[in-house]
Parts: sequence; C-alpha cells; structure tokens
Amino acid sequence: MDNERKLTIARAMAEATAQEMRNDPRVFVMGEDIGELGGVFGNTRGLLEEFGKTRVRDTPISETGFIGAAVGAAQDGMRPVVELMFVDFFGVCFDAIYNLMAKNTYFSGGNFNVPMVLMTSTGGGYSDAGQHSQCLYGSFAHLPGMKVVSPSNAYDAKGLMTAAIRDPNPVIYMYHKGLQGMGWLGTEAGAITHVPEEAYEVEIGKAAIPREGSDVTIVSIAQGVHHGLKAAKTLEEQGISAEVVDLRSLVPLDRETIRASVAKTGRLIVVDEDYHSFGVSGEIIATVTETNMADLKAPPKRIAYPDVPIPFARVMEQHCLPNADKIVAAAREVCKAPVSA
Amino acid sequence: MATNITIPSDLWEGGEESVITAWLASDGAKIAEGALIAEIMTAKVQHEITAPATGTLSIAKAQDEVVAKGDVIGSIS
Repeated sequence: MDNERKLTIARAMAEATAQEMRNDPRVFVMGEDIGELGGVFGNTRGLLEEFGKTRVRDTPISETGFIGAAVGAAQDGMRPVVELMFVDFFGVCFDAIYNLMAKNTYFSGGNFNVPMVLMTSTGGGYSDAGQHSQCLYGSFAHLPGMKVVSPSNAYDAKGLMTAAIRDPNPVIYMYHKGLQGMGWLGTEAGAITHVPEEAYEVEIGKAAIPREGSDVTIVSIAQGVHHGLKAAKTLEEQGISAEVVDLRSLVPLDRETIRASVAKTGRLIVVDEDYHSFGVSGEIIATVTETNMADLKAPPKRIAYPDVPIPFARVMEQHCLPNADKIVAAAREVCKAPVSA
Repeated sequence: MATNITIPSDLWEGGEESVITAWLASDGAKIAEGALIAEIMTAKVQHEITAPATGTLSIAKAQDEVVAKGDVIGSIS
C-alpha cells in the first residue's frame, strides 16, 4: 500500500479550501476566528499563513454584516467561503441567508449568480446546550434557492467542499462538530479517512451506500451515518442485514437511491439528529411512501431528536440523541424480531 | 531497528496531560519520515505529531488515550 494519508474532516475542509484558493483568485474566506485561530473547529487552519489577511478575513461578531457582504461580493464576481460558527446563530442573520443569498438569482431573472459557500457547524453530544447543539438541517433544506450538504467522512468533506466552492449556486455546507476530529467535542474514528492529495469533487446531490444489506434500509446524514453503521454491525450479529444510505446532500436530495434501497429491503428507518417533526426524517419517509408504498413490508420508522430544546444536563441530552442502540431496537421491530424477554 | 514515536517535551508549556484525538495513519501502514501521523490535544489546543522515520507504523496508544510528555505512542520499523 502507498503511504497512507488519513485526514480529519477539519483538515480535509481546509485542504480543499486552500487548493481552490490557489487555483482561483476570486476565492476568499470570512468569519469569526477563522484567521489566526484557524477556526474554532479547525477547518481553516493554515489559510491565513498562506494567503494573508486580505483573503482570510477575521470578522467582528456581526453575522448579518459579513454574510450580507459575502452575498454582495458573490454577486460581484467573487467566490466567498463564509463561516457561521454555530448554525444555532442563524437567527440573527437569516434575512441575508434566505432572502438575499438564496433568492437573488431568482429575483434578478438570472442576471446575478450568488456563488458562495456558507459553512456552519452542527450537532451536539457534549453538553453545550440548546443554543450550540442543534442541527437545523430541515430549516435550511426547507427553503428553496440553496444547496445543502453535510459530509460524514474526510473524503466526502474534501470533495463536497471543492464542489461547493466551484458551484455557481449558494451552498450551505453543514459540518458536524462530533466528526471534526477536534478532541474536546469527541472524535468519531470512522470520519477520519484516506484523502487523495489532488483536488477532486464529490457530486452534490448524490448519496452513498457505505454498507449494503437486504433486510432494512437505514438512511441518515453526517453523525447519524456512523450510528447507522454501528447498528448495522450489531444487527449482523443478530442475523439482520442492514443497508446504510449516507445522504451527503439534502438539497438536491437523491431520492432515487433512497427508493432503490427500500425497494430492495422493504423496510425504512431514518436517523436524524435534527428535530423530529416537520423535518428531514418526514421528507425521507414521504419520498418512499408517495411513490413506492407497495415496496414497504412494515411502516417506516424515524429516530430523531425529540421536539424539545436541547438539554444541558449530560444524561438528559444523551437520552434525547439518536444512537446505535435505538436503531437496533427499531430495526428488530420492523423486522419483527423483537428482543425476547 | 524500530524508531519510537515520542511526545516531545517542548510541544506545549507546562506539564498537563493530553489526549490523542486522531491517528492519521493506520496500524501497519507504510509512512514516510516527516508525514503528519497524529494529532494530540491539550487544553483545547491541537498539536501535530510527525513521523520520525520512514517505515511501517505500529500504534501503541490508541485514539482517545491520555498521554503525557515523553510517552511513547508508537514506533516505526
């Protein structure tokens, strides 16, 4: 085997950004603590040293201001990569995101493109409470005009970032804190993968199947994919063959891959760390039931975050979060193989 | 002859312990001298560990293990 070169998602994101900055002088980065610190989650490390303060701009705590500025810069021909440090902070700057960034191409009759990337951290599990732990995948995916991606591993993280920067449309790049390889948030070893040095794209809107199976389909994104893979391993020991679908993109959503998998297995479990109601999990289930109801051998199930603010208390937060045990229990239920008493 | 991978004593100030947050090469992988092979973290600051030699990596301390300055976390042979 050639020299192995594994990266964390944080490093993979930084590498993709640096390569695009070398290739394209229009690409620049803005956000809070993305310069000297290299990002609170490590995903802009090394950029300031290589590209300097003109192209790597630390901003004040003024999300409306710098995200609005990025929209203007993008419309004027630049390729901004902007960070909203925690997705939970979208409340103060959402007008710039969903009214300007997402809609200006449409409002201008196609006269302007808004080729920007808004990267933002998601997820909890480390007792950071209700304003620093949300995923909010559904909130962004619900609103038209922007693509939405979220990687589960470093290979996809690099390829999706490269694709996002090159995309002529606005892309929301959501990265889960528990997958970044930053120890104080916990580290998911499965997210640290071999990454080629050269630039490459992972197609936005194309799901992956990291594990094939025949009895039940587990659909998820980001951290949930790792829960699904762990559950699939346990289920295999119990005689149940689970297929895991990693969505990678929510917008566009790869409905074909979801439907094809359920057509094969006949059973569907959606794992979503975002809130239970009115979100991604319901959309995935509707994707199957609207067109492929006859494929289902059992009602679909979802393992999502309960519709409550995220607790600070560790035991309460862990109780609410999706995990492999919950998936195993759901899979045994839909496969009619309940644990015997 | 194996070359030990040791946490340098000047990697950070003070005597705090650290945790291995990532191995960036697998046990048994071939690695080149100078390659980034691990990240360790102390007090929310991440430090890089590079390969002291070219050869085959043997990991002694796993990810998430607590380590101190001077500890041998693996070797290259």
